[in-house]
Amino acid sequence: MSGQTTDVLVIGGGATGAGVAWDAALRGFDVVLVDRADLAEGTSGRFHGLLHSGGRYVVKDPVAADECVAENAILRRVIPDCIEDTGGLFVVTPEDDPAYGDQFLEGCRRAALPAEEIPVSEALRMEPRLNPGIRRAFTVPDASIDAWKTVWSLARGAAAHGARILTYHRVLDLHREGDAVTGARVRNELSGEEFDIEAGFTLNASGAWAAQIVRMAGIEGIGVIPGKGIMIAMNHRLVNTVINRCTMPADGDILVPIRTVSVIGTTDIRAADPDEIPVTQDEVDQMLDDGERLVPGFREARALRVWAGVRPLWQDEKSGPAAADTRDVSRTHAVVDHIQRDGVERLLTMSGGKLTTLRLMAQDIVDAMCRQMGDERRCRTTEESPPGNEDGELYSIGSRLRRREKTLRDEQLVCECELIGRTRLEETIRRRGTTNLDDIRRSLRLGMGPCQGGFCIYRATGILHGVGRLSGAEASASLRHFLQERWKGMWPILYGDQLREARLDDWVFQGLLDLEHLPAGADGAPAQAEPDVQSEEPARA
Amino acid sequence: MIPDVIVIGTGLAGLSAAVRLGDAGARVLVLAKGVGGTHLGAGTIDVLGYAGPSSEAEDGGRLNRVQRPLAALADLPPGHPYGQVGAEGVAAAVDWFKERIASGPLAPYAYEGGLEDNLLLPTAVGAVRPSAVVPETMAAGDVRNGGRVCVVGFRALKDFHAPLLADNLARAPEGVEARGVELDLAPGGEPDVSSLGFARGFDEAAFRAEVAAQVGGRLRVDERVAFPATLGVADPHGTWSELERQLGRPVFEIPTLPPSVPGIRLFNSLRHALRRGGGEIILGAAVTGADRDGDRVTALRTRVGLRETLHRAPWIVLATGGFASGGVALDSRWNARETALGLPLARLPEPGGERFRPNYFDEHPLSRAGVAVDGDLRPVGANGDRLLDNVLVAGATLAGAVPWKEKSGDGLSLATGFKAAELIIQESDLGQRAAQATAEA
Amino acid sequence: MAAMREEHDVLGDLMRGSLDHCVKCTICETVCPVSNVTPLFPGPKYVGPQAERFRTPGELSPDASLDYCSGCGKCTQVCPQGVHIAEINTQARARLKERDGFSLRDRVMARPPLSGRLGTPVAPLANRVLANRPVRRLAERLVGLHHEAPVPRFAGRTFQGWAKRHRSPEGVRRVAYFHGCGANWYEPDVGEMTVALLERAGCHVDIPRGQACCGLPLQSNGQFDAARRYVRAMAAALAPAARSGVDIVGTSTSCTLMLKREAREILGLMDDPDLRVVSEHVYDICEYLVALHDRGELRLDFRPLPLTVTYHAPCQQQGHGIGKPALELMALVPELRVIDMDATCCGVAGTYGLKREKYDIAMKVGANLFGQITAERPDLAVCDSETCRWQIERATGVSTVHPLEILHRAAGPA
Repeated sequence: MSGQTTDVLVIGGGATGAGVAWDAALRGFDVVLVDRADLAEGTSGRFHGLLHSGGRYVVKDPVAADECVAENAILRRVIPDCIEDTGGLFVVTPEDDPAYGDQFLEGCRRAALPAEEIPVSEALRMEPRLNPGIRRAFTVPDASIDAWKTVWSLARGAAAHGARILTYHRVLDLHREGDAVTGARVRNELSGEEFDIEAGFTLNASGAWAAQIVRMAGIEGIGVIPGKGIMIAMNHRLVNTVINRCTMPADGDILVPIRTVSVIGTTDIRAADPDEIPVTQDEVDQMLDDGERLVPGFREARALRVWAGVRPLWQDEKSGPAAADTRDVSRTHAVVDHIQRDGVERLLTMSGGKLTTLRLMAQDIVDAMCRQMGDERRCRTTEESPPGNEDGELYSIGSRLRRREKTLRDEQLVCECELIGRTRLEETIRRRGTTNLDDIRRSLRLGMGPCQGGFCIYRATGILHGVGRLSGAEASASLRHFLQERWKGMWPILYGDQLREARLDDWVFQGLLDLEHLPAGADGAPAQAEPDVQSEEPARA
Repeated sequence: MIPDVIVIGTGLAGLSAAVRLGDAGARVLVLAKGVGGTHLGAGTIDVLGYAGPSSEAEDGGRLNRVQRPLAALADLPPGHPYGQVGAEGVAAAVDWFKERIASGPLAPYAYEGGLEDNLLLPTAVGAVRPSAVVPETMAAGDVRNGGRVCVVGFRALKDFHAPLLADNLARAPEGVEARGVELDLAPGGEPDVSSLGFARGFDEAAFRAEVAAQVGGRLRVDERVAFPATLGVADPHGTWSELERQLGRPVFEIPTLPPSVPGIRLFNSLRHALRRGGGEIILGAAVTGADRDGDRVTALRTRVGLRETLHRAPWIVLATGGFASGGVALDSRWNARETALGLPLARLPEPGGERFRPNYFDEHPLSRAGVAVDGDLRPVGANGDRLLDNVLVAGATLAGAVPWKEKSGDGLSLATGFKAAELIIQESDLGQRAAQATAEA
Repeated sequence: MAAMREEHDVLGDLMRGSLDHCVKCTICETVCPVSNVTPLFPGPKYVGPQAERFRTPGELSPDASLDYCSGCGKCTQVCPQGVHIAEINTQARARLKERDGFSLRDRVMARPPLSGRLGTPVAPLANRVLANRPVRRLAERLVGLHHEAPVPRFAGRTFQGWAKRHRSPEGVRRVAYFHGCGANWYEPDVGEMTVALLERAGCHVDIPRGQACCGLPLQSNGQFDAARRYVRAMAAALAPAARSGVDIVGTSTSCTLMLKREAREILGLMDDPDLRVVSEHVYDICEYLVALHDRGELRLDFRPLPLTVTYHAPCQQQGHGIGKPALELMALVPELRVIDMDATCCGVAGTYGLKREKYDIAMKVGANLFGQITAERPDLAVCDSETCRWQIERATGVSTVHPLEILHRAAGPA
């Protein structure tokens, strides 16, 4: 592919970038989005799943709280299919100060956040597994939000309005002509091909990697503190309501029911490099203890997978000293105006932020871009829904089961844990044009259930081999890559039931299939394919 | 009934021990949480496939592949559980096993092969696995001399992908010409049928005829035919030989993901033998504890509802499996334990040390954990002292092996289960009772 | 008999929480008698630990196919990881029924005392009507009771009536008899034989008053509120005996299992004190007699009984986890040839096989067993559960009796 030209180049395919692409495309701009990997492979794909009511911030960060209150309501309207209305509880555990509850309530009142204190007995009736020793409980409009659905929905929406979504395209350099950023040089990671993208404007939405990108434009003094946090997905919904610890924000104080799992998180440790974020034993032990505090018996439940994500916490030498605990750095976002700061034109960077405010972040940065361009087109993202949200109904957990009931005898079930049928899988493989089974996992939740792909991944590989016309070596490489990725997320939390599962899988993959002795061939070199986000309807539920 | 022996576990180790004991006239009670092992494996008896450090060598690991298992047994490191059985012990167990199956309810279905030479059988992903003793229905899959294979799969059988298998098999250094075809044919016409569903289909002549009709015309000269391991559960011999006749060439089946039909056949055969010998299996009876008196276990406890039942017997065989079956468990504080009797575990990683390595295919520090035993299969403590006199341990519960990597799981289970039975027969009065009964008859 | 210990109910729901143990091994699916004969039922793994992850208390149940689960419990018995699959299914069914409501048929079928009280006073007429083919066809259309379903015949008298007039001798030990609906309305002679045999074995037999129904059919049909009322009342009737240390024996092996564990586990009645003490003291009759025999206390001389009989252990008998004590007992009878059948399930599963939409499935499920029995041409078929007996007898034409009957016959006149 030779060079491309566009109005707006968006760097970063997480929630921020997808939101920006959607916003800009809706305003009629021609957009190209690039991400070095799959969409939502960075922070967005590794976050907690919480659509904040804002309760977490009412005391310490009122601005953030206000933003959450407003955006929570807007997102429920425009991307309902990505959101499950779980509701939330703030609970004062035996170790917390009950007086904080009063501060909390006061903060909620000020932020017009509809929080209500309920009797502990009522909270325990709602959620029987909660720690019976909790001392106070408050309801809030928390919800859980599926990051992948959100990001893919926005990206497809942008594509439907003409945007080009280029996954697996890494930015190698930004082009400067005098004081202006004129575009970027990118490399297609799958084919190795390099080319230039000429852009009228470049929007840096690369989150934890934002500093690396701006440096390519010769801009110095910007840092992003990668605030590493680990999360553990538990095999089933131990609770059906988001449970927050009612205390000053601390580690491990949220348990989120998201899709079929519940996720406990998170820690907050400063990392040096956003790509070097190992999960440590201490963090795992800490999360399990934190889970036990909220739900006694947590340690006897089954942990499926652990992962680390990085919060992009902004640190600008030109605006004040960095804080030690990254939690103290403001969670609100800001558009970095590079004209003002660096004298560089046609580049804007999004700093900070959280997934709950993705729409607002996109609006702010595209508005800023428009101001700089002298363009008056206004934001329409509060009015329009991206594809996949047409029926206007919030997501319900039973939807896949309900849908499967209709095709029970018509369709082969490939991923049994997450109820994914063969037709759906084949469509997704074709549409995404990928040979990476991990990409499919993100699109469909393939292999995200209790067996973590143990039983479905052989099936998916065989189907991929057929649909994608892969060679045996390519398909096998994909399978091995998947198993290795899977192992990364499993081994730090391998105990109890999940260890049994893993050992059974060893018996299957090694003892029965003897996978490790397949002759190596085109290892790690997946077939050529153009990711094709433009076509068709987005995946439902 | 007060049994002579209680066997805990219904895998290959437990059933081998129980049937051997029943042969010798013992009254055997098998207690188990459920069914397992056999239904999940290949249904072959893999004795030893790889020895030495595991590798992902470019040659597909041929460097440490074992060709002659009997000889290779002698080279295993000390502490490997095969060491407690010895090559003769393994050979005796294998001979007994083959005879038992051949004279069992599925006769003339039988196992072939021995300990001299491993066959090389294709796996469901198209790799090649060394295996010592295999059902007759799989033997023609041996690829040591290359040849041409047509792999037949079924769209409705999602756990078997013939084209993928064939593509990979064709890359094997052994020089196999392989191709895959997929039939749109299924029992009942359903789109999603398990291996067992297909096996029941294959048990019917009409289905076999349809398969043969669809396959027959597409075959090339000198091509043998591979099917998924679904060639009948009630009458595998009849099913398989009829297919060979209909297709006019060697036919074999390739084991795939659970449920394992060859494993189910194996289970059914052994269970039948156990029942014929007067033995009993109680399922849903997890052993939750034991009463001890010095170096003897005097009773095992199982529980239904609020009440415990005590099961007493002079001898006990512990064959509960390893981590996969819950015979050994690790809790969230990283403490490991043997779950039925609370025996101490050996070959555990250092406390606070790594249990696993980041690379999936490496051997992990936790892999060899299990119960250590002496030469008479009695559990021993850290200093090697015998802990219990009337309890013998067999199968995947044993420390010191990495059976899924070595491809030694079936061999270990069979050999140690058989030996446990032999030891009990010798050391108790069962041997004399049996001899007496024969004399009186 | 043995020690009592509460299973530590971590996370507060023993049954549903066990879904965590599922490793997707498919072993349950290989034995499920229903999914192996019909694709209408997606299988125990699917409907139990798998689908349960998609169900929440707040949402109406999305999957109707789970109603094809017969509740036989074989899945739970074979699961190598200890998932309480059948129990999860039963609980899910109750929530499904909340959505769909209960049909008249299911309400009536699930309450044996109701039909018992209605039918007993007019037994000869009721039996004739129920045997009348046109009536049965009409009933099938109107109510959904399959016209071939093996409905039992009213005895025309009740076991309770007999019990009121019966005086039990002193004996060397006391035992309480939980007679169940089967014996009370349909087979009072089984109850009488049981009492006679226990007395011959030296027991003084109490027959506690006020025994109505243990609630098992209500539980199986998803009517949990009513089931709880029934089983609590039953527990209240039996608890005094249990509290005074008297063991309780029952001849309906499914009903004793209900009291032994199912009611507590499935209906969530862990804390009911009456049910708890009853649960600790309840025995299947063969279980009890074998225990006496093992202690050398079963002093019964059995006469030779030169018969050939087949024995089928019902699914729920297997759920007791005690092996097959009926076989051990019958082995004490000289010249009796007992052939242990090797089949999974007779298909009826309580009320399941009576229903229009499930009858054919039930008959397919039981086909293997029926074929084995018929092939042996036995004098009698033996089975510990009354609904299974009625199914087997109707399907094979072989007279089918409780093991107690064999023992009673062999024990001879007093």
